[in-house]
Amino acid sequence: MLTFLQVLTSGIAIGCVYGLVALSFVLIYKATETISFMQGDLLMLGAFTVLALNAGVGLPLWLAIALGLGLMVGLGAGLERSVLRRALGQPHLTAVLLTFGLGLMMRGALTAVPAASHSMHRLGQPADEALRLGGLALAPAHLMVIGATLLVAGALALFFRHTRLGLALRACSEDPRAAALSGVPVAAMHTLAWALGAGLAAFAGLLLAPITFIHLNMGLIALKAFPAAVLGGMSSLSGALAAGVFLGVVEALAGLALPEGAKDMVPYLLLMGALLLFPNGLGSAAGRERAR
Amino acid sequence: MLHSRILLAAAFALLPLAAGAETPGVSHDEITVGSIQDLSGPIAMLGAPVRDGMLMRFEEANASGGVHGRRLRLVVEDAGYDPKRAVLAARKLIQRDRVFAFLSNMGTPVVMASMPMIVEAGRPHLFPFSPHEATYLPLHPLKFQIYAPYQDYMAAATDYMVKTHEYSRTCLLYQDDDYGLEVMKGVEAGLARQGRRLTERTSYKRGATDFSSQIARLRAAGCDLVVLATVVRETVAAMTEARKLGWEVDMLVTASGYSAQTHALGGPAVEGLYGVSVLPHPYAEGATPELAAWVARYRERFGAAPNVWSVMGYTAADLLVQAAQAAGPELTVEGFRVALENLQIRPDIFGGPVYRFSADDHLGNRSGRLAQIRNGRWQLISDYLH
Repeated sequence: MLTFLQVLTSGIAIGCVYGLVALSFVLIYKATETISFMQGDLLMLGAFTVLALNAGVGLPLWLAIALGLGLMVGLGAGLERSVLRRALGQPHLTAVLLTFGLGLMMRGALTAVPAASHSMHRLGQPADEALRLGGLALAPAHLMVIGATLLVAGALALFFRHTRLGLALRACSEDPRAAALSGVPVAAMHTLAWALGAGLAAFAGLLLAPITFIHLNMGLIALKAFPAAVLGGMSSLSGALAAGVFLGVVEALAGLALPEGAKDMVPYLLLMGALLLFPNGLGSAAGRERAR
Repeated sequence: MLHSRILLAAAFALLPLAAGAETPGVSHDEITVGSIQDLSGPIAMLGAPVRDGMLMRFEEANASGGVHGRRLRLVVEDAGYDPKRAVLAARKLIQRDRVFAFLSNMGTPVVMASMPMIVEAGRPHLFPFSPHEATYLPLHPLKFQIYAPYQDYMAAATDYMVKTHEYSRTCLLYQDDDYGLEVMKGVEAGLARQGRRLTERTSYKRGATDFSSQIARLRAAGCDLVVLATVVRETVAAMTEARKLGWEVDMLVTASGYSAQTHALGGPAVEGLYGVSVLPHPYAEGATPELAAWVARYRERFGAAPNVWSVMGYTAADLLVQAAQAAGPELTVEGFRVALENLQIRPDIFGGPVYRFSADDHLGNRSGRLAQIRNGRWQLISDYLH
């Protein structure tokens, strides 16, 4: 039982990171109908930016995080303004390939920095002692991930429900034409969506840093986050987050209970099953239940 | 008629000259050596220090007058761990640069793609970074290797650990690819020498982030030694997870985890980890005067602290220099081969193995030694194991 709980908490923590990246996929998709294939690279770039500000420039960690996230939000907005906006009205594939290419450019630029390509890095100090609750040992990094994810999810919920900007962004993703007619600046909302998407990915990268360290391949986690986004229905923010946590937990428990090797198959089997049974995602399936 | 006869005579007169300059890459004042490295790909972390180590040894040789008056020149091509680029790089180094030999080519995919072409062109293929049998077996006059397959090191290390610590339940955490399976074979062979078998084994995919379920599984099996077929990041993650749970099991990592990054990233959690060392890490503190001077020279030349990969590059280049020196002033591929096969190699300043080649064995070393992380750095705790 204890082992079960132990593995469960690790699964939830990793699942939160999947969920956050999935959230960034969905946020962008809802607002702009573009699937961004550079979220993994944004995640990595965000982590490296904060590392550079902290270890390279010598800023204190909190300031480096704030400034780094600000820069990444700015990068997201800047990319939308300069490049991604031009893909509007083009076939879907254009925007997808554009994000893919931008991701490759970010990776390529980073490999040109010797310190980045030649070793792995740790942000701040090595982890402290684990927190003990009875027999349960909780890693501070895992607790931080779970806490920070809850905080971000809460802040996003407030933003979308109770601020004019959030409402405008929602309106824009529900029906851009109607939103434009009611005076919502649709173009500015697109910029906002890309900025938030980049910021969220970078934030996920920071949460991942104490667990897997900062290195060039850390963006590969997006490969797990994308199924979570699809599982959540690509259109539901809460669905994406929940699906991320769900995948993390299932993956961890499968490693414990199922035969050797099953662990890595389970998330994708689940994804296939869910797509067959609920083609619009688990989020919409739950919504339908409620509507009934 | 007369003209053609003169031309013919001239051609014959030039023949001996052409024969004299036959050895490619060797001129009267220079020896050109090629190396296909990874300077931009997934193992650029290894490629850059290996290149720097080789450069340093060649520059030292040149500063002391070269090899029989010939300067050594290293031409490095970046293949980024990509077999297609490796083939292009090999062709360029053979045809355009006309290198004498290839030294320390980096990565198994690169080596497997380019090695056939290189030996077919008659160039020695020396000490590639690929712990694969094909780099020295079947015996080939141009193939020489100093790194044994993981299997050999791990069989000896597991055997030694189980014998000295009397472990009864040995387990394995392995990366689910060729590397992991090779280590598994070695661990099983080592255990078989003690009449034992693996108690539990569990795997992960490259790039895995979470090791909680694997560690829980191993803990439930009651392991008292966990062998890690991991690389640096996974080593730290697995050991941190175990220690978090308060599981103080002994762990032994392959030579891939024997890196200063392991204790730099892992901190107190990896204290006590055992590792297999093929060449010792060059720590500046506590070094012999010769080694300390070497570390200082390296730092000054390349602006970074040397690591175990720098030592490997330096060692490989040193073997080439020694063999070329022993081959005498008339350097040919054949002469070089004979010299390398009969070379009496002296112990180096790093505490590395004493390599030994012969006419029927082109693998210079088969053994590693055990190390343990104590007080935040690797310390060697055994001699070379056989």
